[in-house]
Amino acid sequence: MTSLSRRSRISSLIPQTIMFLFALISIVITLGIAVILITESYLFFRDPAVNVWGFLTGKEWQPMIDKFGFLPLLNATLTTSVIAMSLGIPVGLSVAIYLGEYASDRTRAILKPVLEVLAGIPTIVYGYFALTFMTPLLRSIFGEGVVEIYNTASAGLVIGILVLPMIATMAEDAIGAVPKELRLASYALGGTKLETTFKVVIPAALSGLSATFLLALSRAIGETMVVALAAGAGPNLTANPFEAAETITGYIVRISGGDVSYNSVDYNSIFALGLVLFIITFTLNLISRKISNKFHQEYE
Amino acid sequence: MTKRIIVLLLAIMVVLPLMAGGSKESTQATQENPLAWMEGPSVEGLPGVNPIKVTGNIITAGSSTVFPLSERMAERFKEEGYSGTITIDSIGSGAGFERFTVAGETDIANASRAIKPAEIENAKKIGRNPIEFRVGTDALAVTVSSDNTFLKNVSMQQLGQIFSTAQLWSDVDPSWPAQPIQRFIPGTDSGTFDYFAEEVFNKQVEPLLAASNLQMSEDDNILVQGIEGSPYAIGFFGYAYYAENAEALHIVDIEGVQASAENVDNGTYPLARPLYIYSDATIMNEKPQVAAFIDFYLSYVNEEVVGVGYFPANKEAIQKGRVAWLEAMGM
Repeated sequence: MTSLSRRSRISSLIPQTIMFLFALISIVITLGIAVILITESYLFFRDPAVNVWGFLTGKEWQPMIDKFGFLPLLNATLTTSVIAMSLGIPVGLSVAIYLGEYASDRTRAILKPVLEVLAGIPTIVYGYFALTFMTPLLRSIFGEGVVEIYNTASAGLVIGILVLPMIATMAEDAIGAVPKELRLASYALGGTKLETTFKVVIPAALSGLSATFLLALSRAIGETMVVALAAGAGPNLTANPFEAAETITGYIVRISGGDVSYNSVDYNSIFALGLVLFIITFTLNLISRKISNKFHQEYE
Repeated sequence: MTKRIIVLLLAIMVVLPLMAGGSKESTQATQENPLAWMEGPSVEGLPGVNPIKVTGNIITAGSSTVFPLSERMAERFKEEGYSGTITIDSIGSGAGFERFTVAGETDIANASRAIKPAEIENAKKIGRNPIEFRVGTDALAVTVSSDNTFLKNVSMQQLGQIFSTAQLWSDVDPSWPAQPIQRFIPGTDSGTFDYFAEEVFNKQVEPLLAASNLQMSEDDNILVQGIEGSPYAIGFFGYAYYAENAEALHIVDIEGVQASAENVDNGTYPLARPLYIYSDATIMNEKPQVAAFIDFYLSYVNEEVVGVGYFPANKEAIQKGRVAWLEAMGM
């Protein structure tokens, strides 16, 4: 860096400046989003019918008739995310372990591109996959009377599939970053391959893995298209994953798609919800970064 | 360091005009004779339209009920030679008026209810004076899944119970199953929602919104899919969406009256309602393509309306729109 600027050639300065500008743009955009979310949320919370405590603890969400409790939406978001994680983490981790520790180069050469294809499928396709494949599958297993046509289980499972490539790829990187010496030491002590993997490699990669899971979780929480199509279009506080329930992102999609007029309290409510989502995912990403930074220090 | 700042400033000076230049191109090229498209035989007093000679884009938004009809008219307009783009956003009547009267983003608002005085006020603030054109009549369809065996006919009072306080079907009528009612209704910005609240709940929206097991969407296909999904589901939307899904859905008679062309015509079906499009004289004069499209719409809508799944408006109502068109164009 310093040697480059000391030479101070215009030819190297121009691209550097341009790239700096682009980097600046991404920061400005992030700040802009945060500012808009905060100012518009302020409009929402300033409304006499709304108070922050009621917003955080209320059990009914129907802004048109002054019910501003966002627990039903949060509950549905958490339900879909937990279901997604309980599918995505074990499967993604298994794929990662298989790819990192067991697979031959030939199987890797097939499996990796397949995972990448999975990662490249547009989420709207996943949405219709949930609606036209996963939901009928669930209904044929548990019965039509039990599983509603829109339900959080179907959406959650498909989000699990959606985050699977992300988990697999990042987890494999985390496992691959574990120094070879640790494995060799384990073998030298008489550990089998299985023991080495689960008792040495995974614990050593744990910080990288947790960072992966947190990122995947924040991806699942923010996922929109799948839940908008398959999870339901009405707030519903329920613990039953086979019932329809609208998530935070699902509600934002429905309202911003033209459900209410600008400058109404319902319209402003989507910014408050957006702010909540932003805070949740931002926190998760921050924690995940902290964890993975620590992990880098350990082995470099 | 100073060098770097100079380069940065230079870069900004180069980039900024480039960005500004892009937006200027959107200003429209005005034609030499904006009314060159008026050709051919006139229809009921309106000048003939030659879509081949119509240029420029048209932006419309509004009711999901009117959407299939506007879409059909736009398709026919294109088939007959129109080469521009017509945008039709299906976002609900209220949102359509919002874009037409407050944001002023659209040329035409589609609506399944008449414009409200407050919306006219908003329009005046941005210099628009909404003109109403009646394009057809809808029989709001209350539908259940074709697997539903118990619901053939409801009274208006039962309809009120079903869509508000009743939890189970048996709460409304003891002979119906003791199963939870699953409700699928259009969103709050939909003209269909407003109309239903007006007719069934005397303009109150609270009972409708406070109901449990409630799914709302501006996308009528989401409602159709939900209703198809369970024998205990019920919902309502424009007749066209029923007509399109008639094998999977069953339409419920209201007060013993079936939704048919005859009953809509003679006014006995309790949930028949008008469909409109709205525009403004200034827009029609400044963007002749909008005037041409509305002219075309009013000339041929009666040939298409039944195919889409609605009913023709009566002659006087359509004629009123035609007269309004001529007035707006100063003819």
